[in-house]
Amino acid sequence: MSDNPYQDDHGNKDASITNTKGIGTMQPAHLKSGPTHKVEGGPFLIGDTMTGGYGKGPDILHDCTIAVDKGEIAVIVGPNGAGKSTAMKAVFGMLNVRSGAVRLDGEDITQLTPQDRVIKGMGFVPQTSNIFTSMTVEENLEMGAFIRTDDFRDTMEQVYDLFPILRDKRNQPAGELSGGQRQQVAVGRALMTKPKVLMLDEPTAGVSPIVMDELFDRIIEVARTGLPILMVEQNAKQALEIADKGYVLVQGRNAYTGTGKELLADPEVRKSFLGG
Amino acid sequence: MDLLNALVALTNFVLVPGLAYGSQLALGALGVTLIYGILRFSNFAHGDTMAFGAMVTILITWAFQAAGIGFGPLPTALLALPFGILGAIALVLLTDRTVYRFYREQKAKPVIFVMVSLGVMFMMNGIVRFIIGPGDQRFADGERFIIKARTFKQMTGLNEGLAIKTTQGITVITATIVVAVLFWFLNKTRTGKSMRAYSDNEDLALLSGINPERVVMYTWMIVAALATIAGVLYGLDKSFKPFTYFQLLLPIFASAIVGGLGNPIGAIAGGFIIAFSEVTITYAWKKVLTYGLPDSLAPDGLVQLLSTDYKFAVSFAILIVVLLFKPTGLFKGKAV
Repeated sequence: MSDNPYQDDHGNKDASITNTKGIGTMQPAHLKSGPTHKVEGGPFLIGDTMTGGYGKGPDILHDCTIAVDKGEIAVIVGPNGAGKSTAMKAVFGMLNVRSGAVRLDGEDITQLTPQDRVIKGMGFVPQTSNIFTSMTVEENLEMGAFIRTDDFRDTMEQVYDLFPILRDKRNQPAGELSGGQRQQVAVGRALMTKPKVLMLDEPTAGVSPIVMDELFDRIIEVARTGLPILMVEQNAKQALEIADKGYVLVQGRNAYTGTGKELLADPEVRKSFLGG
Repeated sequence: MDLLNALVALTNFVLVPGLAYGSQLALGALGVTLIYGILRFSNFAHGDTMAFGAMVTILITWAFQAAGIGFGPLPTALLALPFGILGAIALVLLTDRTVYRFYREQKAKPVIFVMVSLGVMFMMNGIVRFIIGPGDQRFADGERFIIKARTFKQMTGLNEGLAIKTTQGITVITATIVVAVLFWFLNKTRTGKSMRAYSDNEDLALLSGINPERVVMYTWMIVAALATIAGVLYGLDKSFKPFTYFQLLLPIFASAIVGGLGNPIGAIAGGFIIAFSEVTITYAWKKVLTYGLPDSLAPDGLVQLLSTDYKFAVSFAILIVVLLFKPTGLFKGKAV
């Protein structure tokens, strides 16, 4: 970033003239998407042998492959700094994929911007700042449905059925909710687009174990509706228990791949990541 | 002691002018606070946007007056106001397209935008003075007073008169309507909510499919409308002089910061706080006190705390006190 003089942070901390709260870090919207093209076969969503990193920085991912099929939960686990979130962001188009491809539903979307991938049907829940804190729960959901021109009240009812606590707090600012409730708002917001695939970046980060169990239950419930879910998780053991597919990443590479049960049973995986 | 006369004098010289001036500041501060909240920088060109919008309105008003089109007892400028708003919208959108967008594409930091707006300010300032000249322009017509001082005296039999100028009445009524419409827009409409969402969390707004360029465009349009209305009301109430609008930037920013930058309710409250402080501190209280106090305590001097030349010092003093003790403003700032 430092090679751009316009992004010099000097003098930018005077809050009486500059407002840096909630400022965007993603590529600006006027960067246009490249073309997409049809491809045959393959899983529903796949990041295929992706290599890449942020901006002009070094590669973080090396030939990393992540896929999820219809009706499945795929989980990415691994030690700290393994590039789990990076892998997911690569699938979502938030970093430069220098080689490899991302395909969704028989279409190569490698050249699309993140916002265009949302329109293609990808729902993404970032790890942090994933709700509009100053807006009410209901407004958060409405904003989730911003790209929809049809009547989205049904979808909102479905979200409220899935997360009943949100119905009670619908008129409360989302920023006043507890950590677990905020995550429910975040997932609910992403569900409002009626996505074809849901991507969750550490949905249980920073919530208590009880809330975590409940969130996992809800995620399974969402998956049962047939919506494929790709998820990054810190709590490897619990995540692999509910996973149809698991990816263990180490230093940006696929270390182990298999079904959740296989990985849980694998002595190597147990020894290195699951604490025996 | 004559409390009734004291009250009338107070209303005439402090309350009514303060209310009108406060409404004008509030409208100006709303524009500043919207830019700060949504586009994330302090727009120093705001005062001159007001001047430009008011200038277009004045030119159209003159054309109407020349053509013999009037608005009955109301000022013709109100008829010309929509054209002034359109002119200001055209100017800010052109500025955005040619200047600000370049910096958005570079993802420039807000402080760079602040400096850019300073440049835009000088440009607009020059354009306005080039077109209409640096001098004083009067364009108010129609009925001058809602209540004349003499009529009031005859009606009530009091010594003190109460005069309410038409422009003061129009200012307060217009400001109330504009604020109500603005809040309805921000809180109830899809576009308004998307602007609040963008202000709250730009990345997430992008992920929700909200087009940032659209949000920016709507913000500029609303701000141009607010600025023009504020500028025309101020010009009607006092008089139009380009340099005055440049100076108005100080109380407007003071209002926005005192109320809490980024908070529309704060901007309105801040506008009235600054206006009433300026008016009360620079007003000579002799008359009111002479009526209000027992004869033995009646003051000899003018009892004017500061000369009106120092009115900007008042806004600055309040600004500094607020920044020292409550930097986010009286209302929680940054929550459009």
